Amino acid sequence: MATVPSPDATPSQAAPARALSAGVYDDAIVKLFFTATVTWALVGMLLGVFIALELAWWPANAGIAQLTFGRLRPLHTNAVIFAFCGNICFTGIYYSMQRLLKTRMWNDTLSRLHFWGWQLIIVSAALTLPFGLTQSHEYAELIWPIDWAITIVWVIFAINFFGTIAVRKVDHLYVAIWFYMSFVITIAVLHIVNNLQIPATLTRSYPVFGGLTDALVQWWYGHNAVAFFLTTPFLGLMYYFLPRAVEKPVYSYRLSIIHFWSLVFLYIWAGPHHLLYSAVPEWAQTLGMVFSIMLIAPSWGGMINGLLTLRGAWDRVRTDPILKFMVVAVSFYGMATFEGPLLSIRAVNALGHYTNWIIGHVHSGALGWNGMLSFAILYWLYPRLFGRPLAKPEWVTTHFWIATTGIVLYTVSMWAGGLTEGLFWRAIDATTGQLRYPVWAYVVEKLAPFYWMRLAGGTLFFGGVVLMALNFIISARAARATTPATGDVLPARA
Amino acid sequence: MSKKERDQILGHGAESDGIEEYDNPMPNWWVGLFYATIVWAAGYVAYYHFIAKKSYVRELAAQMAEAEQRWPRSTQLAKVEMTPAAIAAGEVVFQANCAACHGAALQGGIGPNLVDTTWIHGSTPEEIVATITNGVAAKGMPTWGPILGNEKVGEVAAYIISKGQAPQ
Repeated sequence: MATVPSPDATPSQAAPARALSAGVYDDAIVKLFFTATVTWALVGMLLGVFIALELAWWPANAGIAQLTFGRLRPLHTNAVIFAFCGNICFTGIYYSMQRLLKTRMWNDTLSRLHFWGWQLIIVSAALTLPFGLTQSHEYAELIWPIDWAITIVWVIFAINFFGTIAVRKVDHLYVAIWFYMSFVITIAVLHIVNNLQIPATLTRSYPVFGGLTDALVQWWYGHNAVAFFLTTPFLGLMYYFLPRAVEKPVYSYRLSIIHFWSLVFLYIWAGPHHLLYSAVPEWAQTLGMVFSIMLIAPSWGGMINGLLTLRGAWDRVRTDPILKFMVVAVSFYGMATFEGPLLSIRAVNALGHYTNWIIGHVHSGALGWNGMLSFAILYWLYPRLFGRPLAKPEWVTTHFWIATTGIVLYTVSMWAGGLTEGLFWRAIDATTGQLRYPVWAYVVEKLAPFYWMRLAGGTLFFGGVVLMALNFIISARAARATTPATGDVLPARA
Repeated sequence: MSKKERDQILGHGAESDGIEEYDNPMPNWWVGLFYATIVWAAGYVAYYHFIAKKSYVRELAAQMAEAEQRWPRSTQLAKVEMTPAAIAAGEVVFQANCAACHGAALQGGIGPNLVDTTWIHGSTPEEIVATITNGVAAKGMPTWGPILGNEKVGEVAAYIISKGQAPQ
């Protein structure tokens, strides 16, 4: 095999720390997860665009039950959270942890079982949810056989993950690894507890918890799925890929320790803020609310550690689209983690709950934070992982602007639509003392323009992902056409 | 920590893929914000539950009592007159307000069918008027009395009776 210089050894960072790179690491598994990430991004976001169209123009479902909003909405959320975000986390974790721990993944077979198992789980979601097979728990819709499969695949991942930590060749565990650990451990606990169901048939089961307990467990799970699937692993990714891309030291080690522990400790209590003004005891509601307020600083700790790492590199943000993606991602993280606590305040929640404001809130996190950070990582990894340059580097900047415009249209329309809805619902006629707009459909009609605007924003965001996928495909073709077939640019397994 | 001591490299870089970390202090405003939210949280719990002893269950009861005083319930129900003019006016009211749930041809949809022989809440003109006026909260039917006023309630009842199989 031809010896190719390690793509990791960039001139400015040809550190001896990275000399181990060649031949030691399993990058084939990273490539698999990379490809899955891009594939599921396309599928999940296309579904999002389609159901956004259905809200603006319902005949889009063509009268086919499997295509209706209620059936496809959980498929969209599962596809973007567990398929797209899950796979980018695995891409980044498998790439960075081998390098941070200076060792190959503990067991290659487990890596592959994890990869193929996870993709099969996603395919089985697509084969059940549209047909109405669901547990009816938000973000935990998948029926019990798939839940069992998730548990098995997750345990495989966990064994491989902690096995790799056990055989590491360094003493110090870098901050990214702590965040990955919180991801692996907490998701296992959350998934198992919230999916405790007694199977009745192959596709149907009954939850162990009932009524209020079920609701509390569900939102302990739902809230912490956001915390430990969409926040902590992504912070870990930020702690690895941001300083690598900026080529600057992390601003404060001390801040990373304090905000890590305060974040994981406080997040786990905040779930009841999803159940304000419900039958949940008022003291439990208060607890959910105050823990959410106390989360502002720990969340912002991650944002400021990221942004302050950019000190002295801000001029490069103007020219480097990867840094642009990262800055916007971290900023949206800061914004969404301020909006969340704001929405958990009783008085604000009374206006915002059940409205499209919530949809806007989750998408400023999902599109802004998870999406933009993922794109930065994919673009940064591509030349290093596949050993070939991007064919259309200028498209990356185009993607950035399309995506940013899309997010702005999305969040602004949902804020405006959500406030409209909230105010219409609570309006009282002063002369009669009755609801001013008692006809539900009347309020829905008023939302149509906001739904169209959201569709435009979502379409732009999806268009950016199409551009990215095309860029990768064109780059692969161009590389195949110009370079002799030397096989994998990275050396084979050790 | 003075300016000079800032940006000191910790020296973990060789063990974290070349990524160095500074031993910088946490920004004061950030630490202040964190403490402030903790103090606020304790203060809010003390105020809400122990000092003001607030509860939204009691708040709701108080607001309902106030509303009951400010907008007393009407005790007079609408009268139904089966005249062609009333029925025609009732049709307009029905199509504007009721058709969304009960169907343009009264065949039902979200709300029940009004032209079959089943009368869930009674079939006499008085019972139909009462159902329209007071609504059926459990099923999502609004209280139309104060919204439409007695005259329109009477007209729409006349229209329903004219269309349906209720005894006249």
